[in-house]
Amino acid sequence: MRSLWLQVAAVTAINLKSISQRRWLSLSTVIAIALVVIVLLAFLAMANGFQRTIAGSGADDIAIVLRAGSQAEINSTVSRDQVRLIEDGPGIARGSDGKPLISPELYLVVDGIKRSTKTKANLPLRGIGEQGSELRKGVTITAGRMFNRGSNEVVVGKALLREFEGFDIGSTVSFGSTRWNVVGVFEAGGSVFESEIWADLNVVQSLFNRNNIVQTVRARLTSPAALSDLKNHSDTDPRLKLDVKSEASYFAEQASQTTDLIQKLGWPLAIAMALGAIAGALNTMYSSVASRATEIATLRAIGFGGFPAFVGTLAESLLLAAIGGLLGAAATYLIFDGVTASTLGGNFTQVVFDFKLSPWLIGEGVALALIVGLIGGLFPAVRAARLPIVEGLYAN
Amino acid sequence: MNDFDLVRKNLFRRKLRASLMIVSILIAFMIFGVLAGFYRAFTAGEDAAAADRMITVNKINFTQPMPIAYFNRVRAVEGVRQVTFANWFGGYYQDPKNFIMALAIEPNTYFDVYRSEFEVAPEQLQAFMRDRGSAVVGESLAQKWGWKIGDRIPLNSNIFSQKSGGHTWDLTIAGILKGKADHVDTNFLLFQYPYFDETRSFGKDTIGWMILQTTSPENNDRVAKAIDAMFANSTAETSTDTEKAFGKAFAAQFGNIALIVLLVVGAAFVTILMIVGNTMALSIRERTREIGVLKTLGFSGPRILTMVLGESVLLALLGGIPGLAIAALIAMALRTSLSNIAPAFAVSPTIALQGLALMIALGLITGIIPALNAMRLKIATALGRG
Repeated sequence: MRSLWLQVAAVTAINLKSISQRRWLSLSTVIAIALVVIVLLAFLAMANGFQRTIAGSGADDIAIVLRAGSQAEINSTVSRDQVRLIEDGPGIARGSDGKPLISPELYLVVDGIKRSTKTKANLPLRGIGEQGSELRKGVTITAGRMFNRGSNEVVVGKALLREFEGFDIGSTVSFGSTRWNVVGVFEAGGSVFESEIWADLNVVQSLFNRNNIVQTVRARLTSPAALSDLKNHSDTDPRLKLDVKSEASYFAEQASQTTDLIQKLGWPLAIAMALGAIAGALNTMYSSVASRATEIATLRAIGFGGFPAFVGTLAESLLLAAIGGLLGAAATYLIFDGVTASTLGGNFTQVVFDFKLSPWLIGEGVALALIVGLIGGLFPAVRAARLPIVEGLYAN
Repeated sequence: MNDFDLVRKNLFRRKLRASLMIVSILIAFMIFGVLAGFYRAFTAGEDAAAADRMITVNKINFTQPMPIAYFNRVRAVEGVRQVTFANWFGGYYQDPKNFIMALAIEPNTYFDVYRSEFEVAPEQLQAFMRDRGSAVVGESLAQKWGWKIGDRIPLNSNIFSQKSGGHTWDLTIAGILKGKADHVDTNFLLFQYPYFDETRSFGKDTIGWMILQTTSPENNDRVAKAIDAMFANSTAETSTDTEKAFGKAFAAQFGNIALIVLLVVGAAFVTILMIVGNTMALSIRERTREIGVLKTLGFSGPRILTMVLGESVLLALLGGIPGLAIAALIAMALRTSLSNIAPAFAVSPTIALQGLALMIALGLITGIIPALNAMRLKIATALGRG
């Protein structure tokens, strides 16, 4: 048994050392596999970044109240009377002054110009209630100051400022016939809120002719478990007829569709390309076996078994695939990790997000590479193992 | 035996190797065909846009409404041949997942403005005009749900509610609308704005956007300026643009699809190029001695160059053409399920021609170095080697 493993080790070493003789063919296989991994990982990093941005936006102890069946904030309407009924509902936390911690909000779509393409894009303008910024985790003003209540002032999210023109502090933006002053920039822990413009609810309501109507109500709950109390309250009061969700589950729903789409596009493409790469790997490995036919036959003639030849060939293929996979992952990390992109989100407005590679995704990419290497090496390895000795000796 | 037979026999000397190369080329062109078809479908709206059609929306953003009074004022602008308007309904059928693109439209003018795009049988159109609670359904949407003329369907809105409190509008199908060209998407439903406006609980007397047709595309600029100037400094300022520009800006909002397509096709191509190029070089090197013999027999250098290039081009075509054919089949299979995001998803003749050009380019690029080497090969070296 021990001698078998020695044989395997010896043949494998010969195989690996001889790679340099086929350096161009081997290199092309490595690069082909790397390209497959790059395409796959770029798509996965995009889906992952988008999902992190959206899903990271929601908290468990914040309830979001929408009109029944409306699915997204933009489609929802909640009347002022309903807001009052929610305020008095059960499970809602109160501040030190005894006031309920809620924020009625109006969500409007306005135009902005994208820096990179100079095209118009839908941006969200959110009128928030007094508690609006406290109801979101990690909101800090990083430059300038918060808008003053009752004035035409706005603060903009960090991501929005980065991707869209004309929102620097001190500048004036006009939506329709109204002009607004940008007075501050806020950060919100990398969440989707960083793609928004915030202003005072009452001012937005009056300037956009939406008096008495809001779209959503956000409320801090006394605990995540209090959500069901608030739900029951809404279900039993016929005046309410509203959907009550935790903010976390609301954003999870929003993220799933787009993330799915990106992944459903990325995997089939990567698999189709992987098939092409398998053809390349098979090619390389068959030539490897062909060029070493005499050598393999000689080894067999002096008593080596077929198994070491099999393992040696497979090991060469797997090594090339692993190098390709790691190269692809490294290239994706260097090219795509942290790249900012934006697309239309569930609310019909732009969501700014970063491509984000994770160790798990890199694992998926390398696994795909190894599968290519395994399949690409298997058949040539079988041929190496079965090579008739006499034919091999006369191969050249 | 002519040169072509020789090329063919050379190519298939190693059957397995040749088949593998054909498979990888096939996959590359399959990806090319599918992505190009998808991209074309995605930008179909742009191509379909008529040069004399313009869209007027609220300047704040196209999702913001404007007063219905604008309709008659725009009508009176010089250079405007026809105007119509529509309002987004946010429709779904039975379950919110079954999104339906439903528009409340101005019934008298809408079909006139879009007459080059689609048609409804005159008697069906009359029935639609007569019945305020009726709808015209696009052919592919009707097919999807098995709707027929005379059916009564409940249409839900995820935005609007009725004065009575419900979210469902019952509509009778009065007509089926057919697209006049292949790229026209008919996956939508149109119903009467007057009925919608009367029954909805909020937003009364506002409309979503106006579509206008100018007397000639040369008047576009002037008409746009006149309209936007008319509503400047009002509560709802407008922005008027050509249909094409509007569609392009909207498509851009999804992110840079073109760039992604280019990257993926590019990556696939580089991969295939390397694999095929390397294998060609390998197989020519193996035949060095033979090429020497051919030269001894009197084959000229250029003739050998052509034969080697012919071999690589033949290989590219053998893989590429079936690849495009498979892409066309995939497009056909996915067409209905993708009709929401990418109507008219197909491998068009233009794409096929581009693909063919790419195949020839691929063949020439992968074959050129081995071919030049073969051409320059000296008989003595060739016969001496191996």
